[in-house]
Order: sequence, then C-alpha cells, then structure tokens
Amino acid sequence: MHAEALSALGNLFGDRLRTSLETRICYSFDATGKKFLPDAVVYPVNAEDVRQTVLLANFHRFPVVPRGAGSGFSGGSLPVQGGVVLSTERMDRIISIDTENLYAVVEPGVVTETLKLEARKRGLFYPPDPASLKFSTVGGNIAECAGGMCAVKYGVTRDYVLGLEAVLGTGELLRTGVATAKGVVGYDLTRMIVGSEGTLGIVTRATLRLIPLPEAAATLLALFHENRRSAETVNAIVAARVTPSAMELMDRTAIDCVQALMPVQLPEGTGSALLLEVDGAEGQVAREANLLTEVCHAHGAIEVRRASDAPGREELWKLRRSISPALRRVAPVKLNEDIVVPRSRLADMFAFLSDLSDRRNVRIVTFGHAGDGNIHVNIMVSGTDADEARRAEEAVAEVFHKTVEMGGTISGEHGVGISKAPFLEMEVGPLGVAVMKRLKACFDPNGILNPGKIFLDEAAVRV
Amino acid sequence: MRDADLKALTGLCAKCGTCRTVCTLYPERKAEIAVARGKIALIDAAMSGEDNDADAVQEALTDCLLCGRCERACPNQVLVEEIVMKGRADLAEEVGIPAWKRVLFGKVMTSPAATGIARKAAAAGQRLLPGKIPTASGLHYRFPDGLGGEGRTVPKLPAKGFLESLGKGEAATGEVMLFVGCVFDHVFPEVGRASYETVKASGRSVAVFRDAACCGLPAMVSGDRRSATECAEANVRRLRAAEPGAIVFPCGSCLLMFKRNVFSLIPKGDPLYDDAVFVANHAVDYASFLLSSGVLDRLPEPSPVEKVGEIGYHDPCHLSGTLGKGPEAREVLSRAVGPAFAEMAGADLCCAYGGTFNMRDYSTSARIGENKVTAAVRGGTKVISTACSGCALQMRDMAARTDPSVRVVHIAELVHQALFRK
Repeated sequence: MHAEALSALGNLFGDRLRTSLETRICYSFDATGKKFLPDAVVYPVNAEDVRQTVLLANFHRFPVVPRGAGSGFSGGSLPVQGGVVLSTERMDRIISIDTENLYAVVEPGVVTETLKLEARKRGLFYPPDPASLKFSTVGGNIAECAGGMCAVKYGVTRDYVLGLEAVLGTGELLRTGVATAKGVVGYDLTRMIVGSEGTLGIVTRATLRLIPLPEAAATLLALFHENRRSAETVNAIVAARVTPSAMELMDRTAIDCVQALMPVQLPEGTGSALLLEVDGAEGQVAREANLLTEVCHAHGAIEVRRASDAPGREELWKLRRSISPALRRVAPVKLNEDIVVPRSRLADMFAFLSDLSDRRNVRIVTFGHAGDGNIHVNIMVSGTDADEARRAEEAVAEVFHKTVEMGGTISGEHGVGISKAPFLEMEVGPLGVAVMKRLKACFDPNGILNPGKIFLDEAAVRV
Repeated sequence: MRDADLKALTGLCAKCGTCRTVCTLYPERKAEIAVARGKIALIDAAMSGEDNDADAVQEALTDCLLCGRCERACPNQVLVEEIVMKGRADLAEEVGIPAWKRVLFGKVMTSPAATGIARKAAAAGQRLLPGKIPTASGLHYRFPDGLGGEGRTVPKLPAKGFLESLGKGEAATGEVMLFVGCVFDHVFPEVGRASYETVKASGRSVAVFRDAACCGLPAMVSGDRRSATECAEANVRRLRAAEPGAIVFPCGSCLLMFKRNVFSLIPKGDPLYDDAVFVANHAVDYASFLLSSGVLDRLPEPSPVEKVGEIGYHDPCHLSGTLGKGPEAREVLSRAVGPAFAEMAGADLCCAYGGTFNMRDYSTSARIGENKVTAAVRGGTKVISTACSGCALQMRDMAARTDPSVRVVHIAELVHQALFRK
C-alpha cells in the first residue's frame, strides 16, 4: 500500500489504525488455518469511519476486507490481496430492541450470543445459532449467511434480516429493507447483501427479526452403530411429522475426538450419534420428546439420553459444539466442506463418503446438521505430505460433484470465500457467474470490497 | 525463539476464537492481539522467523494477565499459560529482562534475608511519601501521580514481618509445613499469623517454612527463567529435606507454582524432579487442609460478627480456576461465618492484578479491578475475602479507590475470628 494511503488512514483513525507487523499477523488468519498478511488494520467505531475508509480505498485503490471475529471456514475475512482489514469488533452496540414490533437494531460487531441473551431477557428469541455463536459476530453471520443447529426448524440468518445499512463499494451509505413484518417494495437488496461475503457492501447496522421465546425445550442424544442408521432415523422423524429444532449428526471419529477431551461415557459400539432437540409449549415438548425416543429405538438406537433442564442440555450441546475445534487433534489441517444434499439422499451420501475415503486413502470426518441434509465433510490432512494433500483436493472435488449431481449445494452456510471459488461455476453455471459479476460491478465498480472472494479468476489458490 | 516444545503446544490452536469470549483483557483492548489466538499466532511467527522483532512480540506477550480463563474455555485444551510463559522466557533470552526486575527477582526474592531488608527499606521510604488516606483496613498510602499510576494506593508496610514476629525456636519443626509466601509475611503479616494459628488449631504440629525463597512465580511470568529456577530449586530442596506430611499454602499463586509450574523449570529427567514431585504431592491449599483437618468441626456456631450475605469470596484465577479449589474455600467460609457468606457478584472474574501487569499498565488493571469491586458492592458485599496474595493486594487497592468501607481479608482471618472469638 502507498504511504500516502496509510497516512490518510492515520489522519482518519489515529491510533485505531495499526500497521505493526504484530497486529497485521493477528488479522492474517481465520478458522481455515490459511494466512494472508494485510497491510494495515483499522478499527472503525461508526458508519462514517467505514464510509471514509472505502472512499479512501477508491481514491488510492487498496482492498478493504471486512472482518467480524475471524471465525469463518471459507476464508471470507482473509486479506488475500493485502490491503486493509476493517475490523468491526468495536462497533458492538445493540442500539435497540423493540418488544412491540419484535425486532432488534444492532451494529455489526455484536457477538451473536450477546444478542441472543439480550433478546432472551425480554422473552424473545433470535434463532440463528452457528456453532461459533459465542464469538462470531452478527455482521460476519450476515455476510456469510450463517446457519446453525436450529436452522432445520427456524431457518438461517437470512430469514431474520429485515433491513440493513451498508457502505457500498462506492462509499455510498445504502439503507435497505424494512422494520416491519413484511415489505415488497422494489428489488430485495437486503437479501442481495446477506451472504455476499463482504463483496457488495459492509454492513454497518442491521435490523433483525425476533420471535417469541419457546416456553420449553428438551434435548436428546441418540446413539447408533453407524451413520446409515442415524440418517434413516432423521427421515423417519420427518415422516412422523415432528420438526425438531435441531437434528445434529456426529460420526465415530467426531465422537472419539470430543470424548478424548470430555468425560463422557458412551456404550460399546457407538459409531454415530444424533443430537435432537424439540422446543415449544411444555406439554408438546414432552410429547414430542417421547415420540422421538420411540422413533430412535425403532431404528436401532443403542441408547437414548434426554435432558430437559438447562445445565443438562448444555452438557449435551457442548459435545456437539466442541467437535470442530477438537478435530485439530486428529490432524492439523482440515478441509471443512459444508455440503447439503436432499435429506432423503443422506444415507447415499454417507455410503459415497465411506467409499471415497477408502478409494482415495484420506481420512474423512463427518458431522453436522443432518436435519437440513447439511453435512460437514472434513477431510483431514497433515499439511506436510504433498501426495496426501493432492489426494485430499481430489476427494473434495469428488464430494462437490457428487453433491451437485444429487441435487444438492456445495455450501449450506460457510459461503464460497476462497475455498469453494473453483467450484462456483459448477453449481451456478456460466450465466449464473456472469450475472453475479454484473451485480458485483454495480455495487462495487472498482473492486474494492473483499477482492479475490467467490469468483475464481481473482481468487487465491487453495492453500 | 528456539523452544521446540512450544511448536507442539501452539500447533493445537485451531484459531476458532473461543478465547475471545472469556479473555479478561479483551473487553479493554478490543483487538485480536490481546487474546490467546493472536498471541499464539505471534509466537508461531517469531519461531518461524516471520517476525524477528523480539521486543515487539515480547511487548504483546506481556500484555496478558495469565488468568488462564482462555485455557479453561478452550475446546482443544491448548495450554495457553504455559505457551505465554515459555514464549516470554524464550524472548527474554533475546531481549533481556528489565534491570529493575533482574535485581528484584535475581537478588532480592531468592533470599529471605534480602526480602526482609527490602521491606524495611521500603517501609522507611513510605514515611516520606505524602498523601496518606485512611481506609477501613488500616492506613494506605496514595502514590503521587506519575509515580506508578493515577491514584494507586499501597498498604502501609509493617515494621515487623510475620516470620520476625515468631519467637526464637517457635514453629521451627513440625509435621505440617506452612508456606506463608512473601506478601503474607512482609506486607500482610496478619494473614501469615491467622494462617499459622488456624492451621495450628488442627492439633498437628506446625512448622513455618522460614528459609523460604520467593515461590518464583513473579520471575517466571516475567520470563526470567534463571531466577525462577533458582527460587524453585532452593525451595524444593529445602522443603524435601524437611520431610513434611503436608505443605499448606495460604496463597493460591504460590501453590500453583509448586503444583504445576515448577515442572517446566524442573522437568522430568532433572535431578530434582522426584523431589519436585514430592513437594507437589504434599502441597495443599489452605482451605482443603482446613477441611481435612477437622478443625472446623469444633466451631459451635458461625460467627455473628457480620450480617447475612455481607461476606463474599473473590476467586483467585490460579486457585479456583487452574487448580479448581473454589468449592473448598466456599465450604470453609460457610462453616466459619455461616449465612454471612453469600456468593459475590462476578466472583470468578479476574481482578486484573496479574503480578507485574499491574505495575506495567496500572490504569487498565485498575479499571478492571474497580469494576469488580463496584459490582460486588452493588450486589451487597461488604467484606471481600480471598486466598491469594496478588488478589489481596489488588482488591485492597481497588477497595481503597472505590469504596474504602469495603474490607478485604484472607479467609484465614475470618476462620481465625470464628475460632478464637471471645
């Protein structure tokens, strides 16, 4: 970056501009394990800071990469072409919570769990719950359209974004959407920005839909011999016309990993687990939990555990939330792909993955949101063996092809980032890519915002 | 940096970000460099040669309270405390230790005699300081601005330390060894005294460990591996030779040193390793010892001195967090003061003393500490009890700054009061 650009940023941000190597290193990574050094980091505290940064970027032509908590799995916040990382962590105010009209107005740096807790205090519910909810931010969740465990019943981040304020690639401040239950005026620019991975605009404020907090919930952990049984059970539950608020699957390796870190005793022969949750009115929850227990047993569950109180439920959930980081103990590098297949094809996908693992000689760990057909396929690699890395890359490509062939999608909730850029066209087709690029040019004509993401031709190579 | 063990430790960090949720400093800094994930990235960069500015990396590593909250929250159980201390020690070999620390750790704290002389000198010096302010817990001095931070108060140092107050030959030998620690000997001798009397009340013979060096923690966290090792070796050798049945620690930080940290200074294979294991196996926190000794069974009824719910307990990070001894202290309090004890608001939050952190960045340390005391007072606590010398220093200073009517005591003082009240 030009010294002139840096000094202009310095005038704007004072000590909220950091250019030391140490700070740059601290903003060079996310949860992918990949690393790209930015030239500088800025900490805006309001929309005007963001706007001025983007205006400067247009003048001096440097990339601006928005970053929430840097917990993404597709590289969305990595500064692959250097430039300025714009960290939203100091824009972390909940502006208001409207308990009559059921919405919250927040800044992008608010941690998702903080919002959930504040809503809960008022008897309200902000459902999106990515596994990272304790640290990931609302802004990051919106940029990637994060999903989570309860998406099977409540949907994903997109379903809760009513309106946005965002700085476009031109430096203009766009207000879009509504603060009402409905709204169909013009194109849905709000949804356009949700999931755009910081390539169209930088969210500076969001109006988020809240719903009444369910009265009760129960969590079940059902243990099976193999993934196929779990997959069958998921479909049987849907057929029984129950909509659990979570249907999470863990395979044997995932279970082993977490078990190595936590004192949980599981019966001999446990090769797959389903974490199920039902919520709603007290009586209904008990009835549905009983029904789920029956269905699980009917499909070969070795054991079904149940918790209805908060600490007991949290214990079961902790198992699930710890998987992703715990996999680091299996191998230092994981290619974490969040494919989605039609729910009815889950069992076929598991069979394919098992065969793939043998054929390509790669270790694959699967877990995730079985109720959505959204499976996290983790291909574990040492990071030091070139042949293994090649086999893993080939395996990933096969997984993606199979997914699309089954009528699925290559990313349910992590986004394209740099990890899936090579496969974008495979799923959306050449015209799809072309239209997306035309839109990009319209929001960000100079390619300032998060360059190198989503589209292959500018993308960094997979590390 | 050269430490090969470090790579294995840092390699487990998945950069997930969980550490951001619990870090004591993060809400103050709101920057990635404050949290474990950032520091680990920096250590990796220093090891790989990507970042050769040892001074700058050391500066970043020093900005940490070592409260260990990240380590306990980490889904991968990354040993952050050990990583940061090792990192500091490795870097210290490149950038050196500041001169004042070198003298303090290397010359003063390794020798009990020198520590005594230093206290006397400091006590004499204090009389020259202006601006005394009265507090409920005796006299505190307020530092003039620019001399160690805005409004810092320090306890008035006693003319006599606890060890000096013992008679000749008193508590010289015994089956139970009491490791008083520098602060409870020289700064708050009443805590040393209360610990001694209450441990003695168990009926077992008690020896006070007289030729103790500093536990070594201050040197260790400052990256001064040599002084820390000197302290640890001297203590381990002397403690082992005394063949105690138990070694009781009124201070959680001293205890952590002998339970855990000592093994990175005296590792497996070291000639003193077996002795260090002996010491670790016999080291016990004050509360656990009291519970096992049965002395509290003799208490007729809880002390009526304080009102219901007025006494709170501040969890020392090392003692309640790392060593998991929170329940024992609470049990002791419940037995000693009954319903006067109640859970304090934010009990398990770090007080932000952090040893030398408090000297390095007093204003941040004070901001976090004041918030802690303010929340406690708002929740109805009037007496803050604790069981760590660093926490005691910090909480007294913070109480003096925010609400001088708040008393800060060691749990041993409350037990003493209950056991020996007239």
